Amino acid sequence: MNDMLGHLDRLWDGLLVTMQLTVLSFAGGLVLGTVLAVMRIVPILPLRIAATAYVECVRNIPLLVMLVLFVFGLPEIGILYSLFWTVVTAMSLYAGAYIADIVRSGIMTVPAGEGQAARALGLTTGQMLRFVILPQAFRTMVQPMTNLLIAVALNSSLAAAVGVIELTGEVDLINLEYADAGLTFILATACYLSLTLTIGLLSGRLERRLAIRR
Amino acid sequence: MRTSLRTRVRSLLLIAGATVVVASTTACGGEAALPTPGSNNASSGADSIEKILAETPIAGSLPAGSTMAKIKESGKLRVGGTETAALFSLRDPITGKLSGFDATLSQMLAKYIVGEPKTELVQVTSQTRELLLQNGTVDAVFATYTITPARAEKISFAGPYYMSGISIMVKKTDSSIKSMADLAGKTVATQSNSTAATTLTKTIPTATPLLLATNDECLQAVRQGRAQAYIIDQAILIGNAVRNNDVKVVGAPFTQEPYGVGLPPGNAEYKQFVNGWLKKVMDSGLWARLWKLTVGTAVESDPPATPAIGSVAGS
Repeated sequence: MNDMLGHLDRLWDGLLVTMQLTVLSFAGGLVLGTVLAVMRIVPILPLRIAATAYVECVRNIPLLVMLVLFVFGLPEIGILYSLFWTVVTAMSLYAGAYIADIVRSGIMTVPAGEGQAARALGLTTGQMLRFVILPQAFRTMVQPMTNLLIAVALNSSLAAAVGVIELTGEVDLINLEYADAGLTFILATACYLSLTLTIGLLSGRLERRLAIRR
Repeated sequence: MRTSLRTRVRSLLLIAGATVVVASTTACGGEAALPTPGSNNASSGADSIEKILAETPIAGSLPAGSTMAKIKESGKLRVGGTETAALFSLRDPITGKLSGFDATLSQMLAKYIVGEPKTELVQVTSQTRELLLQNGTVDAVFATYTITPARAEKISFAGPYYMSGISIMVKKTDSSIKSMADLAGKTVATQSNSTAATTLTKTIPTATPLLLATNDECLQAVRQGRAQAYIIDQAILIGNAVRNNDVKVVGAPFTQEPYGVGLPPGNAEYKQFVNGWLKKVMDSGLWARLWKLTVGTAVESDPPATPAIGSVAGS
């Protein structure tokens, strides 16, 4: 056990990779999800159909299946790049589908009158979204986004199944050496918990700062 | 209108039902007509798993109140194993039966204790093996389980029953890797439930391990170029090279991996009993015959000498 505690630095390395996976995948998902949400509300039918089809498809595929498809499927058609970025790609595409729905529901909370007023002032669709709709919409999204960020952080443990040595992968490795699954997984749980509690704490602050005092 | 619709629905259901009955009877007939590979082997006189199981001895009287007596009472041996280890314990997707060296050995132990080869498989991984033995979920673990002193502190090992060694598999076109030292700086795939990963990180710290769940995933990683090499039990690698002509096995095995039967901790009587069974199986030649039918199908050599029971640290 004392030997094993000497490997806390390895747990930290694993936690770092988990955090990188989480942040990068969430950032990618945020960009994709916002684009998808906008596609679903603009008055252009093909865009709406495409975005709806994407969200419905991706949301209904288990993440592990997506990861295996990307890691072992892409090389079959000649696309091979670093394992870490392959996993980030798959997780971003996955998170994007969920974020699209969060953003869309956020936009729905902005009264239609705001959009009409923006039009009356002569703003283009882009300006209307950028200056009027989205800033108000993002406020209501803080809590659902936090939930999703936590989900992405925890889902990143699936990356261990396709060979990324993040927190869970590192725990597997340490466990092979010291045969102490109970303790290693309790330590991993503590790491995940501290990560997600931090996310929750930060989001609470963000929400209070963004709140409009009426 | 309504009644006619109802009768129509009813007649449709009747037709559907009749079709199902016809289909199932033809299916049964077809199955009965096909001889199973096992029975075919037996009638032609060749050795088979069935024969080995039939010749497996049954233990005499079991001490009352012992672990063995309790297992016999329950009517089956609860085995911790896997379904994905080629040559050792692999589930046939068509017959649904487990085959391989470990799988058959566990059935032989079940017959020795219970009187018939009845096992109940509990899937184990490297994370769960010790815990499932400690909390009594399984009676024995047969899972290419390398005996190590660290593991022996948590549980007991009977055996070793098999001496394995780790070897390297690379793409056939690769000529840069010939030994363990050549793996420096390379990405090396291995199964996440094997000791090969630890061996790698300890001896070649500059190599990047790629831990994947199954043999097929590791094989695929090398063929696709995601990993430059794959290290695991030599017999498994040779099996891969036999089935796929774009990979090859290089170098002699560079470790000794003694496989043991994982047993619950602190039960010397049970451990001694299982060791006694192993000795009988080895001395009677059943061990060598089983090796020929499983691991031996991938390795072109005579069965190796049986390892001496209790010969390694931790056993």
